[in-house]
Amino acid sequence: MPDPAVGDLGPEALAYADALHNLARYLTGNDTDAEDLVQETYSRALGSAGQFTPGTNLKAWLFRILRNTFISQYRRQRGNPTVGGLDTVAPIGYGPADVGRAKDEVELDRLRKVMAEEIERALMMLAEDARTVILLDLEGLTEVEVAHVLGCAVGTVKSRLFRARAALRALLKDWKR
Amino acid sequence: MDCHDVRDHLLDFQRGQLGGDVATEVRRHIDGCVECAQADLVERELTLLLERRTPQYPAPIGLKRRLMARWPSAPAAGAPTARRPWPRVLVPAALAAAVLLLLVPVAFQLLSPHSQATAVMVSEAVNDHVRLLQSQHPLEVESSGIHQVIPWFTGKLDFAPGIRFAGDDEFPLRGGAVGYFVDRKAAAFVFGRRLHTISLFVFKAEGLSWPTSGLEHLGREEIYQSSARGFNVLLWREGELGYALVSDVNAQDLKLLAAKLSP
Repeated sequence: MPDPAVGDLGPEALAYADALHNLARYLTGNDTDAEDLVQETYSRALGSAGQFTPGTNLKAWLFRILRNTFISQYRRQRGNPTVGGLDTVAPIGYGPADVGRAKDEVELDRLRKVMAEEIERALMMLAEDARTVILLDLEGLTEVEVAHVLGCAVGTVKSRLFRARAALRALLKDWKR
Repeated sequence: MDCHDVRDHLLDFQRGQLGGDVATEVRRHIDGCVECAQADLVERELTLLLERRTPQYPAPIGLKRRLMARWPSAPAAGAPTARRPWPRVLVPAALAAAVLLLLVPVAFQLLSPHSQATAVMVSEAVNDHVRLLQSQHPLEVESSGIHQVIPWFTGKLDFAPGIRFAGDDEFPLRGGAVGYFVDRKAAAFVFGRRLHTISLFVFKAEGLSWPTSGLEHLGREEIYQSSARGFNVLLWREGELGYALVSDVNAQDLKLLAAKLSP
């Protein structure tokens, strides 16, 4: 039997189409696959609307479906070259060499000149997990919500975000102009 | 607390997510450590960069229409719970009817000159917001204090853009700038919502084609809600002034701020 809440869920669920498409575009890297992924996400959401608990976070639930769909279908099919990429190459922390005022000043100066397309290019070079955590954070999801999407602990989200931002900074810092 | 501990806590510190004692320790360390103060600036700059310049890819209109047409507005009694919502068993006539139902009101809206003028206002609000986000120096006055921001407009506009809300933890005021709305100068106030940016444009309301239908009560005002290119827009007027609130945050959050601005 259909869940009576399916129809009620529609307007709110559809309001997240832009946010979902944005993440889908960054995951798949192209418009056609992004549209397919969003369409499949809503298809699956509709099919399992009965499993959604009213009052819980619909946005995080939809993001979770989108990411799981991407992992189960698109990534496997297309052999995403960025899997296991940057942010997992080495633990990026703040060693003694990183703690330098002149170095930070140069980095600050470079960051201020970064253009939109350079951010996109750098994001696409990150590992999928790193890219996802940055985009979900940018979307305004809390760490608890991101943890729900990624299916991991809140502490893991924190460390992933830390590493992802460090990897992104490293890419933008070394950008050749 | 050493430099490494501080770096680990920087993001939480900047977002106000640290407990009182830890936050105080981080603050104290940053105040006394040039390197960590610089790292703090770098981290903040990265956040600003991501917020303001990351290209956004909102869903195309065609995709939205397809999704709307396929999501049932009400559950069909006795219908099987299909994994896919648009199987081939859909009767073509029903599909055509659904499309017509979707398109007729849209066409009606599009044909109305008044609606077109309102759409221009919504589009202009989004343009102004995007322009502000893409600007190298979006804020001409950077301050979280309303009593620094409002006086800054003195002499730059031929009206006083008084607003009642000074910003709070939920919607911190970041600053302001002089902008344009359609054909006139506007005061632009920028608020934050988590990592999102919300623009409030205040301008003289006279001579604009304000929406007369589809309004809803919020606080003391009647507001008009719309969206364009993935951004939500709220429009309302109060006396001689018009207000446009624009952001990519969800409409509920935007209404929350509107309620604070027009209590």
